[in-house]
Amino acid sequence: LHTLLAKNNRLGGPGSLPKGLGQSPLARSLRVLNLSGNRFAEVPPALLRLRGLRSLSLGGNRLHGIPPDIQELRSLEFLYLGGNFITAIPPELAKLPSLRYLVLCDNKIQSIPPQLAQLHSLRSLSLHNNLLTYLPREILNLVHLEELSLRGNPLVVRFVRDLTYNPPSLQELAGRTVKTRNVPYAPSDLPENLVRYLSLASNCPNPKCGGVYFDSCVRQIKFVDFCGKYRLPLMHYLCSPECSSPYSSASQSSTSQSESDSEDEAGVAAHRMQKVLLG
Amino acid sequence: MEQPVQTETWKARSLEELVRILHQIFAEDKVSVEEVQTLLESYESNPEEWLQYAKFDQYRYTRNLVDSGNGKFNLMILCWGEGHGSSIHDHTDSHCFMKILQGNLKETLFEWPEKKGNGEMTKKSERVLRENQCAYINDSIGLHRVENISHTETAVSLHLYSPPFDTCNTFDQRTGHKHKVTMTFYSQFGERTVC
Repeated sequence: LHTLLAKNNRLGGPGSLPKGLGQSPLARSLRVLNLSGNRFAEVPPALLRLRGLRSLSLGGNRLHGIPPDIQELRSLEFLYLGGNFITAIPPELAKLPSLRYLVLCDNKIQSIPPQLAQLHSLRSLSLHNNLLTYLPREILNLVHLEELSLRGNPLVVRFVRDLTYNPPSLQELAGRTVKTRNVPYAPSDLPENLVRYLSLASNCPNPKCGGVYFDSCVRQIKFVDFCGKYRLPLMHYLCSPECSSPYSSASQSSTSQSESDSEDEAGVAAHRMQKVLLG
Repeated sequence: MEQPVQTETWKARSLEELVRILHQIFAEDKVSVEEVQTLLESYESNPEEWLQYAKFDQYRYTRNLVDSGNGKFNLMILCWGEGHGSSIHDHTDSHCFMKILQGNLKETLFEWPEKKGNGEMTKKSERVLRENQCAYINDSIGLHRVENISHTETAVSLHLYSPPFDTCNTFDQRTGHKHKVTMTFYSQFGERTVC
């Protein structure tokens, strides 16, 4: 069986999907599965064993979240999750290397994880009618994106004066030092949780700063200005308040932020995104 | 279009007949909006007749030219996947008729933004159009956004524009800023157009 269309039914309770689905021949043969218009409150775990699945639709169900194990569906190209009650997106969703079409419209999503920019194959991203106030700056890295819908989100139009900065913990400061000074360590030197912690370092986007950060960073919203016609609020993460943004020449202080920042250096990415947004 | 010299109540019994009657109507100097709307509503959608024009795209809605009306009008079929919608747009001083052939489409009407638009655009009204219903709009009525809000069903609509146009303005709902775009056909007369 290649294609299974079971939309507009009353599936959702326990036993909706046949037992042993993951072990059946279907697990390898099924390419297209449409379960839209049913009553699923969660993505049934059995579904995640369908390794050959290319297209999955769970639109118009009752999902409150997306399981991180969605990354098991390695062949997925098309994922439709519009019209549910999803509040957050797990970063693991970005581990789907073939994903081209991602629909998350008509949900309750408040933020997009920056990792989503790792979806290199993404052609179309549908985010309309959610609760987004800003987007991660990394969204500009989606070089193949042709369609992006953002309408019906409370995107901020004015600069938000909310630069809360939690100073780094001792663990973070130690981690930063290990990374920036290239202190050598082997897995046998440290407890497993610290080895994992060190692997999660993010590079400060400021090219003049070689620093890294873990959990403690400054968040600031800058507006990307697409020739004055469309301003997108993009969230930037910097390792500290003293670190200047890659897109401005002088360092910022919270009192001197102007209300209409415009991006100079995001030139190429902005031009491309302009075509996508205004087309 | 002014008050008609002679109003007929047409009944189109097939898509072919619909096109034929449209050619007849538009051959005259004066054409009535009511007459065209009634004609379009009279045609009972029969998928067998238009399936060849209904080419869907995964990522966005498609425009498929059916007839070019001797230069007087363009008749096209639009195919909307689940969740597909248009931007807010105007109609470049033309008349626009939109008839639902399959599924449902939500039409949201907007006021024209102020000259130096810098605030959220004002919604005038919204409605869901059902199969075989026909809506009409022109620039003096306002702007609209059309969307397939279903997450389970696709939608197909038949559009008539007179005079034909291939550019229009799209509007940013948050600011009222407009941007001129060129519209293209996904297919013409049943053949996929290669860009």
